Amino acid sequence: MKATAAPLDATLTVDASRRADGLTTAVPRGRKPLTWKKRSTPWAYMAPAMFVLLLMTVAPALFIFYSAFRNDKILGGVGKFVGLDNFITAVTNASVQHAFLITFGFVAVAVILEMILGFALALPLAAQTRANKVGAALMLLPFAVTPAVAAMVFKQLLNPNYGWVGYYLGVFGFPKGIDLLGDPTSAWIVLVILDMWQWTPFIALILMAGLQSLPGEPREAAMVDGATPWQMFRHITFPAMVPFIAIAAVLRTIQAFKTFDSFKILTGGGPGESTEIVNLGVFRVGLQSFNVGLACALGVVFLIILSLLIPFMLRIIGRRADPEEM
Amino acid sequence: MTTTSSTSRRGTMARVIIGRTFLWAWLLIGLVPLLFMVITSIKPAGIANQIPPAWIFQPTLDNYDSVLSAGGGKSESFGQLLTNSAIVSLGATALAIIVGVPAAYALTMRDFRARKGLSSWILSTYMFPPIVAVIPVFVFAGKLGLMDTYPALIIPYAAFNLPIVVWILRSSILQLPYEIQEAAMVDGASTWEVLRRIIWPLLVPSVATAAVLTIVLSWNEFLFALSLTRSGAKTAPVGLQQFTGMYGTDWGNITAAATLIVAPILVLMVVLRRQMVAGLTFGAVK
Repeated sequence: MKATAAPLDATLTVDASRRADGLTTAVPRGRKPLTWKKRSTPWAYMAPAMFVLLLMTVAPALFIFYSAFRNDKILGGVGKFVGLDNFITAVTNASVQHAFLITFGFVAVAVILEMILGFALALPLAAQTRANKVGAALMLLPFAVTPAVAAMVFKQLLNPNYGWVGYYLGVFGFPKGIDLLGDPTSAWIVLVILDMWQWTPFIALILMAGLQSLPGEPREAAMVDGATPWQMFRHITFPAMVPFIAIAAVLRTIQAFKTFDSFKILTGGGPGESTEIVNLGVFRVGLQSFNVGLACALGVVFLIILSLLIPFMLRIIGRRADPEEM
Repeated sequence: MTTTSSTSRRGTMARVIIGRTFLWAWLLIGLVPLLFMVITSIKPAGIANQIPPAWIFQPTLDNYDSVLSAGGGKSESFGQLLTNSAIVSLGATALAIIVGVPAAYALTMRDFRARKGLSSWILSTYMFPPIVAVIPVFVFAGKLGLMDTYPALIIPYAAFNLPIVVWILRSSILQLPYEIQEAAMVDGASTWEVLRRIIWPLLVPSVATAAVLTIVLSWNEFLFALSLTRSGAKTAPVGLQQFTGMYGTDWGNITAAATLIVAPILVLMVVLRRQMVAGLTFGAVK
């Protein structure tokens, strides 16, 4: 059947009698060489999407690779080739090193905490009860909030003079008018809590769907055999959940590396440069100081580091999401 | 025997109770920021940022009125920013769907040898950090005179959502029985006719999911909107950050505007929860 469809489509203009012929007479098996039209058709369908994607990923990547070796300024006219100067600045500059370090630190801490809490929330949420239907809807709420709005609301809650957090902490005996964003340590804690508030639900909902999709029989068999709840979790539920855990971890890691809104709005990188992650650093150097060359060099390094995540993305998400692979 | 099973049952009960307590404590504490936002937005002028917080007051919609109306020293009404957000989100969604549907179809054609490689490439662009694109796009947009226009946001938003759109649609097409395509081909239909007459009608639910996701993610975007707009195409999340300058620090107004931004997408997300999670995982979790 597959063999008949291909040559017929290739010669669309054939008249009905020949087409009928093609069906009744035996068609030679095996792949026929494709005609040019047959070959080019899928490319024609792909072209618009490829154009948009190339324009917004490959073209910018080429631009930053080119500009990273130059000292162009957005307002200062055309610069010149400066070799590796920007990269040398990027690698030797203490605040750049700091930015990369705290970016990795933030991603690691936030993703690990969110994974652990997400699993802890998914376990009770996966039970198919009426209350949990409401629970799942409530779970989604923080994750549905526009990140820039969430950050703004947190900023108001934390306002030292008028915020609910400072006031109610004061009621419980903490110092009055506490400015949690004014101190590097507490600012970091706030940023991680905001990220957890917003994104733990995403992980919980993925893992909840995973838990609900697991077959019941292995657990029932283990229960009959007298397994303890911990043994059942350790040897049955957890191993079966590994693919879902991997999916959630990969997606969250990629998203966490893109975090910009909450830092920009809550701390703007401060106090000092204590929360200036790479995304904020590139934004400040490139779009506020207009030092395009240095910003592009930082971008190149960041892009190369993030590209290391592509194989995980393809293996863990790509395979699982692809019906052709299943 | 009886003792072990009863202790283990008691242990199970204890774990269930601890689990549920944690879950509901999380859910209720998680509501606090949203409650603060909504409650403050309906407080009358003057008590919005009163300390200790006022819990008993006459609810009012004055803040919404004030935010949505123009004039009174404001350079633009927040309604205009919401309109900009809507135009950009819907424009990006239309573009992503128009280029995404044919691409997804091509990626399911059995004679298309590059389909695996291209599918992987499209998926891998999800990793591309927007901060790396924003400087080149800033420079290009400036050179092409597109700064502060709708296309300067529509094209990047469509591009960044294409991996999700294409993968959702590709999976849906692959899950349709191939025989119906084959039968149409045998009857002499062109690939375009197959897409238009056979696949498209069956694809509509998946297109709707992909479209809603693109609308939500475009509506929420901040980095490009902040970098590429000044006033003409400024979106609501960016405008919200400038409220202190535009309106003075009026908490009632800020929270009313915040609620206006969040409300429409909150409704969309809650209604389509299952599809949203499936879509955001590229269909890896159903």
